[in-house]
Amino acid sequence: MTTKLFGEPVRRREDARLIIGKGRYLDDIGHTALAAAFVRSPHAHARITDIDVERALDVEGLIAIYTYDDLTGPMAEPLPVLIPHPQLTAPRTNYPLARDIVRHVGEAVVMVIATDRYIAEDAAERIVVSYEELPVVVGVDAAHAAKAAVHDDVPDNVAARHHQETGDVEPALAASPRTLSFTQYIERSASMPMEGKGVHARWDADDRSLRVYSSTQASTSVRAAIAAKLELSLDKVEVIAPDVGGGFGVKIVHPWPEELLIPMAAIALGAEVKWAEDRREHFISSAHERQQRQDITVGYDDEGRITALDVRVLHDHGAYTPYGIIVPIITATQLVGPYVIPVYRVRIDSVYTNTVIVTPYRGAGRPQACYAMERTMDRIADELGIDRALVRERNLIQPDQFPYDHHLTFQDGRPVIYDSGDYPGLMDKLKTLVGWDSVDALRTDAAARGKHLGIGMALYVEGTGPGPYEGGHVQVLGSGKVLVSTGLTSQGQGHETAFAQIVASELGVPIEDIEVTTGDTRRFGYAVGTFASRAAVMSGNAIALAARGVREKALRIAADVLEAAPEDLEIDEGLIQVKGVPGTSIPLRTVAVLSNPLRYAFDEAAKQATQFTTHDDSKPPVAVGDAPGLEHRDYYSPLRSTFASGAHAAIVEIDPATWEIDIVKYAVVHDCGNVVNPMIVEGQVQGGVAQGVGGALYERMVYDQDGQLQNASYMDFLMPYSSEVPDVVIDHQTTPSPLNPLGIKGAGEAGVIPGTAAIASAIEDAVGRRISSMPISPTELYDLVRNPDSELTAVAAGRAGTGVMA
Amino acid sequence: MNLDGSAVLSASPEQVWSVITDPAVLARTIPGCETLEQVGDDEYKMNVSVGVGAIRGTYAGEVKLSDKQHPTSYVMHASGAGAPGNARAQVTINLEPADGGKTNLTYSADAVIGGPVAGVGQRMITGVAKRMAGQFFKAIDAELTGTAAPAAAAAAPAAATASDASLVAGGAPVAAAPAVFAGKAGEHVRTSGDVQSLLMGAVGGALLTLIGILVGYRLGRLR
Repeated sequence: MTTKLFGEPVRRREDARLIIGKGRYLDDIGHTALAAAFVRSPHAHARITDIDVERALDVEGLIAIYTYDDLTGPMAEPLPVLIPHPQLTAPRTNYPLARDIVRHVGEAVVMVIATDRYIAEDAAERIVVSYEELPVVVGVDAAHAAKAAVHDDVPDNVAARHHQETGDVEPALAASPRTLSFTQYIERSASMPMEGKGVHARWDADDRSLRVYSSTQASTSVRAAIAAKLELSLDKVEVIAPDVGGGFGVKIVHPWPEELLIPMAAIALGAEVKWAEDRREHFISSAHERQQRQDITVGYDDEGRITALDVRVLHDHGAYTPYGIIVPIITATQLVGPYVIPVYRVRIDSVYTNTVIVTPYRGAGRPQACYAMERTMDRIADELGIDRALVRERNLIQPDQFPYDHHLTFQDGRPVIYDSGDYPGLMDKLKTLVGWDSVDALRTDAAARGKHLGIGMALYVEGTGPGPYEGGHVQVLGSGKVLVSTGLTSQGQGHETAFAQIVASELGVPIEDIEVTTGDTRRFGYAVGTFASRAAVMSGNAIALAARGVREKALRIAADVLEAAPEDLEIDEGLIQVKGVPGTSIPLRTVAVLSNPLRYAFDEAAKQATQFTTHDDSKPPVAVGDAPGLEHRDYYSPLRSTFASGAHAAIVEIDPATWEIDIVKYAVVHDCGNVVNPMIVEGQVQGGVAQGVGGALYERMVYDQDGQLQNASYMDFLMPYSSEVPDVVIDHQTTPSPLNPLGIKGAGEAGVIPGTAAIASAIEDAVGRRISSMPISPTELYDLVRNPDSELTAVAAGRAGTGVMA
Repeated sequence: MNLDGSAVLSASPEQVWSVITDPAVLARTIPGCETLEQVGDDEYKMNVSVGVGAIRGTYAGEVKLSDKQHPTSYVMHASGAGAPGNARAQVTINLEPADGGKTNLTYSADAVIGGPVAGVGQRMITGVAKRMAGQFFKAIDAELTGTAAPAAAAAAPAAATASDASLVAGGAPVAAAPAVFAGKAGEHVRTSGDVQSLLMGAVGGALLTLIGILVGYRLGRLR
């Protein structure tokens, strides 16, 4: 009897080919394709006065040069606002190639096509674009001050005012025993997948059809966008996401200008065209996320219980809003975390700046939300002199309070109702795992070695698996091979393994027989995309339902052949047999053959299904309502998002000579409901923690006042190496989701969400100075500590003078 | 697609008109011109090869003149095709006297480009057209100032047939002996008339312009 693979740490099946160079990434496709390169704006805000291509004409191998003037029909219109919202009152998007005005360094102005990328760049370099510079707006505070406008017709730079409230917060604050207010900042970072964006397009002039490969997280929707913009019928466009070397959110917004321009050129030139971005292009023309200024006022009692919470946020949205205000909405709705907040008001102004657009990066607004809520908890604890864990415990939603309705509207347009969870359980496990109550001993020990030790924690709740739906298709072939497909995409999450595990478990076939295809509109046409930690929840469930449909049909056919009742049958290792009667069996592959009544036998196995071999005169070969073949297609559409949760704690040691911040322990307690593959989930968590550490200590986009990105390369944009990322100790909790058949919740983003908050808390604990801006570098920490005006924490003031704390 | 431009030439409008209507001059000043041949009243055929990027190729074209007002203006209608694509255009040419005995020549072209070449983008097409116009006017100016070097023998295949007086493009009999002018060969082949063939390339305005100017040559001009 095979072990059911669901829940087993099955080794990833896709890794073998990816590690030995047999992956097929975008740049592996189309060796003979023409290459594209772009002339991008060097100015943050300017009017284009002239484009002179004269000198480029001498470049041997140049094929074509396009500017906005070459765009016609829907291509000449702005890119779509993907997610409209009534509060997004001033949405603005860019044109595929800049029209008159550029609004951030990196905006594409000219596309050059040549026989190879080197030549295309040579030609692009010789194109002279003349600009008249315009005033530049950088940073949320400057956008708010609005001395200059990013868009002429949006003089206050406000794209949207997102507002949710659950009661009357001002009287509630006034009536609170205590209140405190503070301001804090969190800085921009970016997804930085190892593989940048890329597009390859091929136009078949004979049947007038287009095939596009794009390194995207949403191939189905890119297909629809390309069809609409290039005025092609949907059935004439295919979009495939090949192997993708990481997305982390940046590949969810679409259509990128390049996703439209490359197919356009392929059609115009009747040739294959390809573009793969380089790292600098990724820095200045993809997307960033995270910058916010947060103004928080909280009311609480002497026990630390929150009575009211009022949050104002300025959210930096970059120059355009193609993804709508999803990120601020997520911040607004996830801020409440695992706590009871009697009255909550959140107002987030999304402001325009002359910088790269802001679209989701792993976490998508949740890290900012967690930072706001958890740092509020830290401050309450500090004011009252109460343990930071205890204050949190006093506010937690209790296990018997589910489903818990926060009376907020989530990013999927549905209510924020927590379906299941055990937050006190998370807290207990975390304290044990990190040794919360025994940290003083560690502190003393570190001090003896001359280091400042601090500990911090952060809890979060994460809405995962939003809809509208995903689908799954499972088919058993006569060879025994099981084909599985779903429309959403993969960027390294291990879908080929996890989805195969689900089918192996549901259908009783060896996992080696299963082949999974994702992100290919030729195989599965209806899908949404990979984002918001939804793939396992959505496609996992849809595939399970499809597999169950196949199983049901297989048993029905087998029951006929074996002359048994379907409920007496079981499938194991691809063999259907009567329970407890080993001799009476039929292979699943034979059932697959029999399921398709044949006239023509093309091989030995097929003979079994031909008309003179098997027939029953009283019935037609294919029954009414049935279909030939052993396959099934099904969909999962959730009532609302399912809420995963977790708790992280970090212990840091700070060297008072260099102010280097060393994370000596990082503990994670993680609850994502039922788990398909615990090894994959732990990998996701570890990867997320790496990005959390990056965001807390190393990564920020440095824009100067002229809107120039000063660190647009890995020399200056610091990403942690493995030496900077701590080994994570992980404990699990499982509160299954009641909302879907498999009981699973999403796990993709969990690792990154509390990183900044937990580490800020730990550093603050170590040095006794208020941390109100993240990320923080050793230099900044040093400046903070020696600045006589920086705020001391109450705890530090209380501790008897230890060096820096005095 | 529109293309406008101008050039200052070092002679009076009458002198400019006569030079730019000399078929031998034109054959050696139109960039890439391989052959010129007259095929009717104010109608010419020409072969031109262009060498820039995707526009590279040889184009065969036809040109017809109208609204001639010597020596100030005329309109040229042109069309042409080659492997890379095809074009159709209408070009208005104006000659005005300028200071110092010079001429201000302005052209305004309205063109429709089709075929694969149409896909290379407007700036590329107009860029190539402007460049060729620039090369042409520079060469014309050299002719006017007498600084044009005698052209080396070109490999233009038409040179071999220049002496074949019976060569008629399109098979239509022509009263005067037609001549085919070699591009860049520098031969002073004078014809008994209006034997100029112009080639209308798919390369937008420049060629159209050049053709337009070339077509300013009056029929029946004998040398």
